[in-house]
Parts: sequence; C-alpha cells; structure tokens
Amino acid sequence: MLAELETLYRSRLPEFRRVAAGIAGDRELGCDAVQEAFASAVRKRRTFRGHGTLEAWVWRIVVNAARDARRRRPVLAEPYEASPNGHAALLPLDLLTERQREIVFLHYYADLDYAAIAEALAISPGTVGATLNAARNTLRSALEEVH
Amino acid sequence: MEELLDGHVPPFAGPGDWNDVLRRAARHRRPRGRLLVVAAAALAALVVAPALAVLLRDRGVHLPSGADRSNVVAIMQPLTGRVLLEAAPWKGHDGFCYLVLRVRAGCVPRTARGTVLLVPPLFGWSFDSRVRTGAATTFAGKRVRLTVEHFDGKLDVTLFLIRDRLPRLIREVVLRDAQGRVVARVKR
Repeated sequence: MLAELETLYRSRLPEFRRVAAGIAGDRELGCDAVQEAFASAVRKRRTFRGHGTLEAWVWRIVVNAARDARRRRPVLAEPYEASPNGHAALLPLDLLTERQREIVFLHYYADLDYAAIAEALAISPGTVGATLNAARNTLRSALEEVH
Repeated sequence: MEELLDGHVPPFAGPGDWNDVLRRAARHRRPRGRLLVVAAAALAALVVAPALAVLLRDRGVHLPSGADRSNVVAIMQPLTGRVLLEAAPWKGHDGFCYLVLRVRAGCVPRTARGTVLLVPPLFGWSFDSRVRTGAATTFAGKRVRLTVEHFDGKLDVTLFLIRDRLPRLIREVVLRDAQGRVVARVKR
C-alpha cells in the first residue's frame, strides 16, 4: 500500500498540486496541502477499505487538505480587473461556488472524468455534470461581459 | 476558457519530496500517542476516583443504624466545612445516637441531668439544659475552649467537643451556664 501511494504521488504530483493550489488559492499552500494530504494518507492507509479506487480516496484527502488551507490563509481582496487590451486578465472564479470551483479544477487540471470526480467528492456523477455545466455557463457569461 | 484556466494556476514542474511526506506522517504520530496517554490517564482518573472515594468512605465509621436519619443534626468546622459531629434521635428509645469525627459512634439513653465525657476524641454530652459553654484543661495546665451546641426537639441534648487538635492529656472538663457558673465538672 505504501508503495502504491508513492507511485501515485510520483506519477500524478503536478495534477495534485495544481488542483490543490486552485482550491487553496495559493501555489505554496497548495503544494503544502498535497504534502500534508499524502502524509495523512500514509498514516491512515490501513483504513482504506478498497471501496472505489485508491486514487479517488487520495483525491478526497487532497481536496479536504486544500479546503483547510484555503480557510487558514489570510483573506485578501482580489480586485477583478480587465487587461489593457480589454480581455479578462483573471477568470472571475469568485462568481463560482466552492463546489463548482472544485469540480472545474478537478476536471480541467487533473483531467478526471465525471465518475472519478464524483468518487473523489462523494457525490453522484449526475451532480458533477450539472454543476460543471452551471460553472461553465457562469464563466462564459462573465467572459462575454468583459469582451 | 481552458486557456484562461491554464493561466489561473500555471502547471507545476519538478519532482516532489516523498521523504518529506514520510517525515510528516511520522511527525504527526507522536502527538496522537501523547493524546492517547492523556486520554487514558483522564479515563483512569474518572474510573478510579469515584471507586476510591467509595472505598475510603466505606472504611469510616457510620452513624449507627438505630439513628433516626430523618432528624440528623451536625456540627461543622466553620472554615473547612468538615463535619465534626452528627447526632440523631435513637429510634424506639429515649436517647440519641452520635458519630464523632467518623471514628467513634454509638447510641446512649437519656439520664437525668447526666453528663458524659469520652476521650478520645474529646467529646461528650449533657442532658442538663443549663450548659452553655465548656472548657478542657490539660495536665500541663493549658486551657482549651470547647464547642458547645444545644439541640432542642427530639434530641434535647447539649453536645460538646474540641474543635482543634486534641491535647493528649486532659485533666478535666468544666461546663458552665450562661452566667458562668459551673454546671458540671468531669475529672479524669
């Protein structure tokens, strides 16, 4: 089990870090959350009962660690500004709910399909699809307003 | 949208540090162990303390079973709240039962104007209702004031005892009335 965790860590670390950084709102906090999450997985590895995949189990731990990191980070107001050419410099992710952001990050940064995201977040695949569509529509509308 | 999401959190590069993961995993185990020790100690204290209290209490002397427990009176140490003496009417008898400092207990019948002194602990009673104050004198000549309490009703007795540390050798105890006249003198 420890070897499998190490293999997963080495093969998917960039994706874990990227999703965690997106959720935590900070690259360093995201990296730290991934380290903590894997440390937690190592400690709790005997509690993994084999329901679902090991990767989904670890994703759930990583998402929770990133959420914790986001709650602990200092809250700074990030103004939404357009770039000089009129295009959005940053995505208006603040328009999304926490659940929508997590699904967007898991889908785009980690390339997880609906079933894998559903397993990682302990929700149904249908909810994943509906939430992702709603997030896309929200972002699209916001981008069109800026353009 | 994908391009903009790419810009939001640029991809990570570089290997991770698996040893750091293992170090963190090991580091977090120790507090958990300490927590278990503290929890075990707290649990043991919770379980043992009441059992010990019951054990110690049961080892003491109790008010006799003949005592009417619905009419118990007590003399307490004012500062500490410690119960020095308990007394109650003697069921089915004209008399009373007592418990002194949880070391001596008994039941005694009423006698006309009788005054009795028991040592140790220095404790006694008088059925003479005139008694208001009392003092004990040691063989060394030291005089010690006694706590004297009269109880009306079914008890109708005056109880006296020494509240502080007991002098070893008591020569006599003198009980007086409200005017300071000697009502009873008990010599040993």
